[in-house]
Amino acid sequence: MTQFLQQLTNGVVLGATYGLIALGYTMVYGIIQLINFAHGDIFMLGAFGGLALYDVLPHGMQDQIVIALPLCTLAGIALSVAVAVVMERVAYRPLRNAPRLAPLITAIGVSAMIEEGTRLWYPGAKAPLDFPQLLPSGAVTVGGVRISYASIVVVVVAVVLMIALQAFVLRSRTGRAMRATAQDPDTAKLMGINTDRVIVITFVLGAALAAVAGVLQGARLGTVRFDDGFIAGLKAFTAAVLGGIGNITGCVAGGFILGIVEVMAVQYLPSGSGYKDLWAFVVLILVLVFKPNGLFGEEVTVRA
Amino acid sequence: MTSAFLRIFDRYREQILRRTGPRGRVLLIAGVVLCLISSVLPWGVSGVGYTNPLGGNLQSVGIGGPRLYVLLLTLVACVGLTSVDGRRRSSLAASLGNLIISVYILRGLVHEGGGTGAVGVGAWVALVGSLVLFLGADTLPVTPRNVLPRLSAVADIALIFVVIGVGLAALVVGLDIEDDKQFVAFAIFVVALVVAANGLGVAAAFTSAFDRYRYIGYAVAAAAAFAFPFTQHGNAQWMAVFARVGVFAAAAIGLNVVVGLAGLLDLGYIAFFGIGGYVSALLSNAVFTTVHVHLPFLLVIPLGAAVAAFFGVLVGAPTLRLRGDYLAIVTLGFGEIFRIVAINWTGLTKGPNGIAGIPDLKLPGGFDFGKPHTVFGQLLPFQSNYYFLDIFLIAGVMVFFARVNDSRIGRAWVAIREDELAARAMGINTVALKLLAFGIGATLAGTAGTINVHIGEAIEPNAYQFIFSALLLSAVVLGGMGTVAGPILGAALLYAIPEKLRFVQDYRLFLFGLALILLMRFRPEGLIVSRRRQREFHEGGSGADAMSQPGQVAPV
Repeated sequence: MTQFLQQLTNGVVLGATYGLIALGYTMVYGIIQLINFAHGDIFMLGAFGGLALYDVLPHGMQDQIVIALPLCTLAGIALSVAVAVVMERVAYRPLRNAPRLAPLITAIGVSAMIEEGTRLWYPGAKAPLDFPQLLPSGAVTVGGVRISYASIVVVVVAVVLMIALQAFVLRSRTGRAMRATAQDPDTAKLMGINTDRVIVITFVLGAALAAVAGVLQGARLGTVRFDDGFIAGLKAFTAAVLGGIGNITGCVAGGFILGIVEVMAVQYLPSGSGYKDLWAFVVLILVLVFKPNGLFGEEVTVRA
Repeated sequence: MTSAFLRIFDRYREQILRRTGPRGRVLLIAGVVLCLISSVLPWGVSGVGYTNPLGGNLQSVGIGGPRLYVLLLTLVACVGLTSVDGRRRSSLAASLGNLIISVYILRGLVHEGGGTGAVGVGAWVALVGSLVLFLGADTLPVTPRNVLPRLSAVADIALIFVVIGVGLAALVVGLDIEDDKQFVAFAIFVVALVVAANGLGVAAAFTSAFDRYRYIGYAVAAAAAFAFPFTQHGNAQWMAVFARVGVFAAAAIGLNVVVGLAGLLDLGYIAFFGIGGYVSALLSNAVFTTVHVHLPFLLVIPLGAAVAAFFGVLVGAPTLRLRGDYLAIVTLGFGEIFRIVAINWTGLTKGPNGIAGIPDLKLPGGFDFGKPHTVFGQLLPFQSNYYFLDIFLIAGVMVFFARVNDSRIGRAWVAIREDELAARAMGINTVALKLLAFGIGATLAGTAGTINVHIGEAIEPNAYQFIFSALLLSAVVLGGMGTVAGPILGAALLYAIPEKLRFVQDYRLFLFGLALILLMRFRPEGLIVSRRRQREFHEGGSGADAMSQPGQVAPV
């Protein structure tokens, strides 16, 4: 039982990261029906942005987690957001009215460019890089379950951000514009909404959340690699589909469910760890077969 | 309001059309003269030089290597002095080619000679000359592409021979160039020449000739493909590369059925290729096999294809009912599942080590693919055997593709791709047909995969990563979606160029990413264009344009 609870905790921590990344997929998909393959790489860039800033911080500040963590997170957000905005402007926007296949293929190209660009030009990135200890060390033990402070920070930050995003989308004027654009871009435009701006904001929000996830994941695992974004992105996408793509609450739930499923599968299935990355895809295929709209999704109207 | 706008637009157009005046002509002539002079002057000073198979070296007076390219491109640029349609495009392409070559060589000289001291007078003259030429060409009026008059059957057939022959010659010459810089200069030359020829209507004339004498065209192309090994003087290096290229080309044509015809984005395509490969590796008594069965290869091919097809249907059946982009992500997931299982199921696949020592193919008549054979008095390395096998495979796949493309099924696929709802309303069983396309793609990939492992003599899971699916996809996109010849051209370019330019290899994936983005943005129809695609990608404004540019139409 203790082992089960321990794994459950680990799953929640993992799921928080998936959920944060998945929000970017779900928002972009909700608004322009594009699977942004490069989103996983935006997540990876967040970690590298944080790492880059950490390396230039003076030694006194490097040791102060309270200063270093927020600064590195901001740097990660800055890098991810900058790349996401350029990507949207240069690669996706010109293809807004192209056949559906075109932006998908472009997204694959963008993903390859970000990954390879990082590998080629970030100093030392051809091998995994060490990520600094930015999260508090130590742990509390509750009923035999060990919960590290790092995990607590990750989950708390993730949950706060998710709630904030939900509030933003539901309450703010921009959030309303986003929902209007998602429902019907043409009508939204007629109502005076600058849809191009809304789409950029969507990319910015998604990238910022992914960057936070990237820095937190890097700090928790202590290592980053140029191709971290590929598998993480796929799993996050699975989480988004699981929760019903386009649905923010569902997406968060999907992230947690997926994280827990993965951890449990590794723990309780034979030769689990070798197949660690497999379960997300199995879940994805099962969901698409039996509940294509996701667990919490509404009926998706098919656009011709 | 609109009419006022149109009037202004018309006046602007007229100004453009009247733009070449004496000034442009003077610039053009000056550029031509300077470039011609530069092509005989020495480009280098001493110590640094590019020797080349075309003779001459850069330090002495004479023509050779890049100087020959500049000379030829300058002669092409002279078309700007005539009044032929498309002269602007051709002249610009040629002069731009000159400019890039001279800048590139200049940079190389400075780099290797340690400063501008190593640069000879010829290189400077070439730089100035091609710049002047470019400015002169830029003053030429915008005209539609040239349409060559149709001459006679003999001329048409001669054109087919000449174009394919020149293509083969360019390939052979290019592969013979050992030096990287020489090769890059040559490649720029070829690209500039092709664009210039395209502007003058050569491509259009070739495609219409090919359309008219299709069987002669295919026969000539096949003859050129068969002749290629004989140009390599028994050298195995390029035969090994092209044996691989052929297999990938066959797989790319299969992917083209899925992506180009039915419009389904399959991102796990390499998995089917791998499944065929594993079936073949396990059943052909490899040294490290885990299944001690040795079936004749002619039986293994259909088996590998069938197993791949089975998995294709298994993945496709549930997901094809959904929207297209879900298929992309599910196939991607399937590709990863395949790789993860291949890594972990060590009892069958030997895990990450893979299965090595796969024997060469042997045909029932006793023909051994692992031995060199003498053909027409020339000893061909054993890799040529696989190359020839590839040609038969590709020919078969091409015939299949062309036939299915022209059938009811092919038209139904295109209808689904264009508008699935409308297709369904017209009574097309969309799910069944999509599944058919997906299954055919998997089958073709499996077939190519069975041969692939025999060429490489080993199989390991990491040769089947996602990125290789993306590479095959780029081959299809680059060559031209929905065309027969496109994927072959794309595969040849994408797999052979990194082999030729070793320094590109590390940047290969980065450049592919960039190429995908640029292609989708500026030329989504690819190098070879299918009539249908052209209209789809340029709907509205330039739709009529596509009709008036026969040069853009592929012989499909």
